[in-house]
Amino acid sequence: MSLVSSEPRAIPINALFGGDFVTLLVVVLSTDTMADVGRKVAANVVGKRVAPRRADMAVYYRDELVPSDRTVAQAGIAPLQFVLVDYVDD
Amino acid sequence: MGLMKREEWQGLAGDVEWTLRYVDDEAVFPEWQCGTGKIPREAWAGWHEAYKMTYAEYVATQSEKEASAYSVKAAIQRSTIADSLDEGWKSSAKLHYGATALAEYAAALAELRMARFGLSPRWRNMAVLGCLDEIRHTQMALYFAHEFVAKDAQFDWAQRAYHTNDWAIVAARGLFDGLMFSSNVVDLALGLPLTFESGFTNLQFVALSADALAAGDVNFANLISSIQTDEARHAQQGGPTLELLVKHDPIRAQWVVDKSFWLSARLFAILSGPSMDYYTPLAHRRHSYKEFMQEWIMTQYMRMLKEYGLKKPWYWDEFIEGLDVWHHGLHLGVWFWRPTVWWKPQAGVSRAERIWLQSKYPAWEELYGPIWDVITDNLRRGKEEDTLPATLPWLCNLCQLPICTMSKSANGKWSVKDFSLDHNDYTYHFCSRVCRQIWWEDRDSMHLETVVERLLAGEIQPADLGGALAWMGITPDVAGDDAYGYRWAKSGGGAAAAPGRGVR
Repeated sequence: MSLVSSEPRAIPINALFGGDFVTLLVVVLSTDTMADVGRKVAANVVGKRVAPRRADMAVYYRDELVPSDRTVAQAGIAPLQFVLVDYVDD
Repeated sequence: MGLMKREEWQGLAGDVEWTLRYVDDEAVFPEWQCGTGKIPREAWAGWHEAYKMTYAEYVATQSEKEASAYSVKAAIQRSTIADSLDEGWKSSAKLHYGATALAEYAAALAELRMARFGLSPRWRNMAVLGCLDEIRHTQMALYFAHEFVAKDAQFDWAQRAYHTNDWAIVAARGLFDGLMFSSNVVDLALGLPLTFESGFTNLQFVALSADALAAGDVNFANLISSIQTDEARHAQQGGPTLELLVKHDPIRAQWVVDKSFWLSARLFAILSGPSMDYYTPLAHRRHSYKEFMQEWIMTQYMRMLKEYGLKKPWYWDEFIEGLDVWHHGLHLGVWFWRPTVWWKPQAGVSRAERIWLQSKYPAWEELYGPIWDVITDNLRRGKEEDTLPATLPWLCNLCQLPICTMSKSANGKWSVKDFSLDHNDYTYHFCSRVCRQIWWEDRDSMHLETVVERLLAGEIQPADLGGALAWMGITPDVAGDDAYGYRWAKSGGGAAAAPGRGVR
């Protein structure tokens, strides 16, 4: 039996987008990749309080960069955990 | 028969105690309420109030104050002054009424707890007068606000606010419950009269009164000045109590005072900070919130600590840094989540206002300028929907306020930091190291589920922003909006305050 279920589960996280002034409740799915997580967090911030940039986004969990193709479940991101999303500097 | 002079009898009357014969002392004065701890019972005979007053004197003085306050109100009511008040300033009054009117009533109950369980008869007498004060304050705030209800439903929140679960009220209720009801009366005396009233109500009642007068709101200035004269008297219950605790248990005294100061400072950052630096019209601002805090709070507080032999709080550097950022982040949060509050926040970021903010807070443009630039730009493009929230901010498990405190890292970069704590297989989040530490030490009496936690637990249905608004008691007729209808953004405000910065 796999420890990582393929069934999507809703995972509420405490998310901060770099340059924003407040952390937010964002609900992601256990099957979301980090690219998906970045987009879901950015949807609440970019163009609203942080100016859009032509740059890739990265997701950091426990101060570590998580590869963009890794899913929430694979990264071990549990409900209520803090996640940082930010643009990647050139 | 002539009346005896007060000096001839008050000393004796102040020491009158019951001699209990039918019940145990512990049954009448249980430790969990009285909280004497290491203070020996006999030491309470040394509790002496600085400000002596008899009931007859109290009634005479209060009667004069009432006559004065209500006559000014009656005169102003016949004028058109209220109609010409600035919409931003009116929000200061709405915020004040909602956050304080029924908190004053809660304080009446807190005074009654001290009047019942204080271990000095002098203290108990003083607390009775304090209770009468707080009832007066409740009545005045409700009455003064009621005048405007027919014209503006948001003023009805003077009465309604504490009967709702609005997030700002949950934060205020968390603080007041912690200070007034979940503690014994010794800790209560240090938290409420000593710290909150002596330390901070000066800020809200004296400094805000000056702003009110400048903004032309004579009635509001009249109200809060009258209230403050009472606060200055009954707040003195804290001093003699602290003196005893410092003598017999200095570690506990330091902890309770430090904790109460931090929690009060957090609440005043959202209660007074935006009012002084954003809602008060620029032309009428005399000092910044930070300057008021430095003049009215820090100087006096440091003097008090020294006077009683206490040390500077362990978090002092964080508190000082917070004066530059706390209320700016909270204001931005209140403005962005404006449909969730019962007042109309004035953005306060027109070109001239940003120049003023930058002059008072040298890091303001660096920290908040780019965010307001994006908001201003969206409003200019007619994209109001992008200036409104679609989710909730995460809330601190102690102060219940959004996690929005910027702090400077070792590399000189400012950013918001989340301070988490894993306990019993659950992750708690805090706005600061200090909130986290206080929660950890006093979690049995200070724990309260945040609005976000209640949403995630399924208490709020539907579990979205609309459901949260309904759950918080916010109806369309009171939901907050920009005080000026965004004219500050459309008429060349924002963005240009900092050299080299322009709207894209």
